[in-house]
Amino acid sequence: MISTNRRNPFGKYFKIAATAARSNCAYLSEVVSRSIFLGVVLYIFLRLWQVTFSESGHDRLGGLTLSEMIWYLTMSEAIVLSDSRMSQQVDEDVRGGTLSVKLIRPIAYPLYTLSSFLGERIVRFLLNLIVGGAVAFIFVGPLSINWMTPLLVIPAVFLAFVLDGLFQLIIGLAAFWLEDTSGIFLIYSRLRMLLGGMLIPVQLLPQWLVPTVNALPFTSVIYAPAYLFVTGGCEDFAGLFLRQLVWIAVAAVSVRFVYDRALKIVAVNGG
Amino acid sequence: MFGLAKYLSLVKDYVKLNWRIHMQYRGAFIAQAAAMFLNNGAWLAYWTLFFTTFPVIRGWTVSDVITLWAITTAGFGLAHTFCGNAHVLATIISRGKLDAWLLYPRALLPHLVLGRMSATAIGDAIFGYFIYIVLIRPDWPHFLLFTELTLSVAILFLGFSIGAGSLAFFLGNAEILYEQMFFSMVTFSTYPFALFDGWVRVVLYTVIPAAFVSHFPVEALRHLSLADAGFALLGSIAVLFVGVSVFYVGLKRYESGNLIELRA
Repeated sequence: MISTNRRNPFGKYFKIAATAARSNCAYLSEVVSRSIFLGVVLYIFLRLWQVTFSESGHDRLGGLTLSEMIWYLTMSEAIVLSDSRMSQQVDEDVRGGTLSVKLIRPIAYPLYTLSSFLGERIVRFLLNLIVGGAVAFIFVGPLSINWMTPLLVIPAVFLAFVLDGLFQLIIGLAAFWLEDTSGIFLIYSRLRMLLGGMLIPVQLLPQWLVPTVNALPFTSVIYAPAYLFVTGGCEDFAGLFLRQLVWIAVAAVSVRFVYDRALKIVAVNGG
Repeated sequence: MFGLAKYLSLVKDYVKLNWRIHMQYRGAFIAQAAAMFLNNGAWLAYWTLFFTTFPVIRGWTVSDVITLWAITTAGFGLAHTFCGNAHVLATIISRGKLDAWLLYPRALLPHLVLGRMSATAIGDAIFGYFIYIVLIRPDWPHFLLFTELTLSVAILFLGFSIGAGSLAFFLGNAEILYEQMFFSMVTFSTYPFALFDGWVRVVLYTVIPAAFVSHFPVEALRHLSLADAGFALLGSIAVLFVGVSVFYVGLKRYESGNLIELRA
């Protein structure tokens, strides 16, 4: 039972997130076994960057040492592999008609879906980070962090998940007008991978591409938290946070716009 | 000889049937194939960006990586276009869906794997040939060798999928294990073989036989070497042999479920 505390309207959404997180913990062994792939990926990245550092003759590439590069990739993979594909859930809710049931609850559907997504994703992310961190530790040793690191990284990761969730919400809601949204999600996920800094930090991309990449929202989902994690607070950390907040505001307004239009064409059949 | 002709006729009929099934959902089919094309294109873009910054990695250039992606996607695509059930074998076994296939008067495994055509695999196959022709622009000898190598890689992926999927006979629910093995195989197959040394190379020749995708075929096309092409084919046949053996040994342990399933 979800209490409706008027003084704290977000309390119920926090409880939804907590319930989703607990539910995900019930399948912990399955989630851990899926992390084997993370180990394989990190090993391949280690070899790729070991060879690249060795052949370039530099101690640092894009301002990162080999050890920092592997920890950066650990964080970026932990973020990406924790994605539970909320857009697919929303798409199914819309096309399958479950949305009509969820609409009669005393909660806002977008916030309900986003809270559930965040709860699930945080558990997956923490597990990925533990497994990936263990693999990275074995390969390159510990990452030197300072007291600023957790203060910056925790909110940066949370904001990244919120932003990613809002984008996926927009994609899922597109099911009101499109037959299938999986193609749009694929395009989004590949842009996120390529231009978000998942496989290669932004500063190592060709110089002509960097301004374009920085102007897009994808770096706020992956690069910002991963870079803050390895640098423990770079000079531009305020700028990274500001970009995250601006993109969240833009995405939230877009969700509102799409959702309002979608509600006008909801067709509920049967009983 | 007569048996082979009969089997090829079965292949033809299944391809026709599966194609018609896909054409009933033409929009979804095109979308899935296009999505896979796009997915592979994104990876190729990543490698192009990487090699723009670092032009040569242990002798590998962007052309070698494009060749590698062309061979891997085309080989994988061919295998699962024609033998789509190989990719879901672990699920079929662990959920007791094999019963329906045991009733047919056909050799079980070849019939079973033919039963499904994957739409995304068709996108993979087209992508592989497309990028090789458009980006590498091969002469005829290279193109013919490329075609032979894609068939060799298709045999390898088929054997690997059968072998890894058949672990479900021994382990029960082996779907997650299969998924992990499959992703490991695909991931190792799409990175330059030159990155790996020592014991990992042993793994890549045996448990995760990606060397027969990322090493011999690329070397064969680099030097137009029939010897390397031969090694790739031999490795693929060995993997298929092991995969089929694991399946039939495991089949003896199979216990029928109570699932009622009809195949029209």
